[in-house]
Amino acid sequence: MFKTFFNPGSFEKLASKLNLPILILSCVSMITGLIIIFYFSPDDYQQGSTVKIMYIHVPAAYISLMTFAIMAIYSIISLAFKMPFGFIINKALAPIGAVFTLICIVSGSLWGKPMWGTWWVWDARLTSVFILFITYILVILIRQSFTNIEIGEKISAVFVILGSINLPIIKFSVDWWNTLHQPASISKLSSPSIDITMLIPLLIMTVAFMSITLNIALISIRYEIINRKRQI
Amino acid sequence: MSIFVKLASFFKINLFNKIVNFLIIIGAIIKREFIITYRNFFNILTIVIFFILGIFIFVFATGPDIKEYKEIIIGIIWTLLLFSSAISIDKFYQDDFNDGSIIVFYISSISLEFYVIIKIIISWFFWQLPFFIVIPIISLFLDINIIKLKLLLLSFLIGSPILTMLSSISSSMNLLNDKNTVIGNLIVIILSIPVIIFGVGIINASPEIINPQLNILLGILLLFIAITPWISASCIKIGLRNS
Repeated sequence: MFKTFFNPGSFEKLASKLNLPILILSCVSMITGLIIIFYFSPDDYQQGSTVKIMYIHVPAAYISLMTFAIMAIYSIISLAFKMPFGFIINKALAPIGAVFTLICIVSGSLWGKPMWGTWWVWDARLTSVFILFITYILVILIRQSFTNIEIGEKISAVFVILGSINLPIIKFSVDWWNTLHQPASISKLSSPSIDITMLIPLLIMTVAFMSITLNIALISIRYEIINRKRQI
Repeated sequence: MSIFVKLASFFKINLFNKIVNFLIIIGAIIKREFIITYRNFFNILTIVIFFILGIFIFVFATGPDIKEYKEIIIGIIWTLLLFSSAISIDKFYQDDFNDGSIIVFYISSISLEFYVIIKIIISWFFWQLPFFIVIPIISLFLDINIIKLKLLLLSFLIGSPILTMLSSISSSMNLLNDKNTVIGNLIVIILSIPVIIFGVGIINASPEIINPQLNILLGILLLFIAITPWISASCIKIGLRNS
């Protein structure tokens, strides 16, 4: 079981089996989520219909953090035990994470203009997410600035480990500092501070975003594995 | 040093011999670095002039009325200090790597981590100490009072070793980088964000929260002292094995 996630051959077999079910899951959950959001979910009494941006914003933010955490774990393991499979994961996940961080920032500022009155505030949460976006871009750039690809992968893995210091700062910035950004809505699992009619579409959209990410990641990891096998 | 060798050969003690060998190697490395940096002294002068010119360009860009930007001048000085240590990263390991002397250190009896520590100490001595002379002179131009100047020097005393260690990390990462050399400066800048936050925060804060911020900056310094030798040494090893 543990070996499947570090052996390229068995991972490729698993990925080719999982690809179609995850594609179906992502389509179904995305369509049902969007239908529930636009026809059944109520508007907020203060924010009006702009609350519907949250169903895009929050899952994108989850994925931007989770992708970087997975990249950091795989970088540590692949540098420590000399497994090149982690570098394949890094190469596949970095652009996905960058795109979802960009979606998170853009949707947040689209929500912020009518609600807060500005596109951007130099707030702890917003600034640290923007630093995360720049870190993703630097991870991609570092790998491409070496002619020898092996060194670029190793150096960018080192940089991913260094950049993962940012993750707890992003997660807890709303608790540590007095920020304009509101604290997490569904972190308190026993009594979430969000109504059940809004919680259900949010959870469905989270599932949809995660399955889309997994689908793209599996395709690009499989592409990378097959490409490297051909080169050898 | 030769007295130690004679003493060691006289007593014929193995451990003593090893320690003396160790001290001789360290002394030789320190002497070599001092000579190299001393002969390239104009490099340091260039960095210092970059800092002064940056301040002057800022004044030209915003106008000569100093009272308008009294609140932000500490931030400007810290930013320029960061930039001047970010543009000097090429001088860290690149020359040693190109002429092959890092391989000699690698196969000698001391570890590469120790070489990195010595290199960091000497680089801090040569590249950051001149700013302790320049900052008071600049503060006369910019009308910074003596209390703020003392706090600025204190925060720079703690913050400058962190900047040197970030330059060390970035320089060891970019040893074999041949396509995109600017990325090393970006690594220094993006990793130095907490140093800038707390370094400027100490000076602009109210007196009762100076001590906690100082403690946080000291904590960052200790963290970097702990991790920098290992990161730099492993990056140099990655470079050595693939070149």
